[in-house]
Amino acid sequence: MRRSREVVDFTRARTRRYNRARSSVRDLFIDVYSNALAAVCVLMMAGSLIVALRDELTGRNLGGAGLVAARWQVLPAEVLWVVLTYLALVGIALIARRVGPVTVSRAQAAWWLPLPVDRRPMVLPAFRGRLVLVGVVASAAYVPFSVLTALDRSPWAHAGSAVTFGAGALLAVAGAAILQLAQGSARVFRAAVLVGLLPVAVLPFLAPSAWSLAVVLTVTGIVVAYLLPRVGDVPGAELQRGGAVSGHAAASIFLIDVNELRRALAAEPRPGTSRRGARFYARPTRRAVTAVVRADIVAFLRLQPAPVGPLMWLGISVAAALITPTLPVLLQLGVVLVAGCATAAGTGTVARRTAVLPELDALLPISLVLARCSRMLMPALSLALWMSALTGALVAVSSGPSSLILLGAIAGAGMGAGAVRAATRPHTDWTTPPVETPFGTIPRDQVSSLLRGVDMTVLSMAPILLAFYLGTVHPWLILAQTIASATAITVQASTPNPR
Amino acid sequence: MAVGDVLEAERLVVGYAGAPVCGEVSLRIAAGEVLAVVGFNGAGKSTVVRTLAGRQDPLSGDVRIHGLPVMPDAIGFRREVAAVFDGDVFFPGLTAREHLLLVARGHALDSPDVAVDAELAFFGLTERSHAIPEALSSGQRRRLLLAAAFIRPASLLILDEPEQRLDPMMRDALTDRIRQRARAGTAVVLVTHDPRLLTKTASTCVLIDEVLAHVDTERGARIIAGA
Repeated sequence: MRRSREVVDFTRARTRRYNRARSSVRDLFIDVYSNALAAVCVLMMAGSLIVALRDELTGRNLGGAGLVAARWQVLPAEVLWVVLTYLALVGIALIARRVGPVTVSRAQAAWWLPLPVDRRPMVLPAFRGRLVLVGVVASAAYVPFSVLTALDRSPWAHAGSAVTFGAGALLAVAGAAILQLAQGSARVFRAAVLVGLLPVAVLPFLAPSAWSLAVVLTVTGIVVAYLLPRVGDVPGAELQRGGAVSGHAAASIFLIDVNELRRALAAEPRPGTSRRGARFYARPTRRAVTAVVRADIVAFLRLQPAPVGPLMWLGISVAAALITPTLPVLLQLGVVLVAGCATAAGTGTVARRTAVLPELDALLPISLVLARCSRMLMPALSLALWMSALTGALVAVSSGPSSLILLGAIAGAGMGAGAVRAATRPHTDWTTPPVETPFGTIPRDQVSSLLRGVDMTVLSMAPILLAFYLGTVHPWLILAQTIASATAITVQASTPNPR
Repeated sequence: MAVGDVLEAERLVVGYAGAPVCGEVSLRIAAGEVLAVVGFNGAGKSTVVRTLAGRQDPLSGDVRIHGLPVMPDAIGFRREVAAVFDGDVFFPGLTAREHLLLVARGHALDSPDVAVDAELAFFGLTERSHAIPEALSSGQRRRLLLAAAFIRPASLLILDEPEQRLDPMMRDALTDRIRQRARAGTAVVLVTHDPRLLTKTASTCVLIDEVLAHVDTERGARIIAGA
């Protein structure tokens, strides 16, 4: 243990000395100043938005019109909040598992791991820092949610809820670390983590009573006390895998590249899907375009992650419509819009992979427009199905017309084009002078790059959201929806792939 | 496993995603021996030695080091096995000397500074000892990696094409160093495309191919020289 600590301290001290020699106090001041200014701007804007939303929710007419018939508004709002909190905790656990959470960098893997010493001092400080960071950030992020979902609570109660959620997030990360240790029986432990987080999701809503906070802090303390002495036992290969993924993800965030981030966090294709569609793919074909379409279909079937994400967003959208007292309609529409954009982004996996090598499309013996249309086919079909399911569910529980389902299917086609457009965003040009924004300095055209794809998805959803709002489907809305989706498809089909 | 054997591989099959990259491998090496692994590009030599070093799992078969299964995370395994592979990754803020000091301290050498100075001198890095890896040439970075493998004690040394990026003089020095290390009792597994390095160091030679065969070192040298 002592030798290991010496090695770590030696490396840290020398690295610190090197870094100090390369940066000045002035650089440090500029970094601190610009980051603090950006943080204050973000916090003030977020605060204003929360206050405005809270005022809107406080002043609204309870029991007003919603997206579905009043008799279907049967779900207590608390159920939705608990479900959302649980999903957030599960999301934290899954992402933590994907990026480690116990990791080493490439250099550490090459120079530290082969040494015949205890690995705990090598991984513990970074992991401990990560736990603290997750706890603090999760607590801070939960405050607005707490304020909006429990309007009548005191500030102390909100603080208690936020700390409870922060401790829950810490538990989720600790659970992910335990999964790293339990390689052999990972399935059992994964189920245990997912089930264990369920009661934790309820506790923030019971936070006004001190016992819920005490319970979650005690459990967190026990789990962390169990885990910290064992982090040195995480297998070296697992430490390196986590380090590679977290390094890739951190670089993507630093470069504000959403597609790269999704590539970093993308799960490997599951072994069971590796042969999916093999017969269909092997069937002889005469035309090149058929072969390309077939290849895209098979790639989509093999690369798509589990349908948990789309189903989860579908459930959230429907639940947001069913809760009582009703949310403001605009907020309900906002939930549907966010769910649509999130689901659309998930269907661009094949396009995101092929976008890494745009030259591949140029090699295909078909026109580039056809190649781009082929890539849109499966996202458009799956999103048409998803939108049909969503609108079908809403039609079933409301007095809305069944033509809403048709509208949903047409919207899904346009959303598919938006998904592929987002997946093939050009890389940011870092060679041009950056621009100053309230959030700090960002590369020129960064915002327009980030909005690419989302623009067409939102355009495709606009007519159907209007239909939700009106509660009816005018013939001109179908026409507008067709035009919106056709525009999205045309724009994507005619936009050259970035190089 | 015979007494004195450091490494034994029995009917070892290596590869990726369940697909073997070469034929079945069976080999054994005793203390003080140098086993050369030869074959054409893509034959699977590096995959074989990566599996021997515990960097990846075998598809089937058995590898034992000092009679124990390969456990790359065990402290004993890390103490006994040193390996140099293709990639070179360094701490950006540490100098060449500091990298070697790190290894020397991690292995609890009695006089780490003396040992580091000796390795730096042997690999011709004394003048560049205070340079960070980014400032070193490709060949110098390769020397630094080799120095890190030779500075530490090990009963099994695995070298994957150590001659890469080295000039002829350094290749000769490396040849002497491998022989010297073997004489001191270390078992060495060496992947190489250099006939001279092979004939001057190897006591046994295996050809990695679709069908594996044991060959003598002279024949191995002729194979990789294309003769």
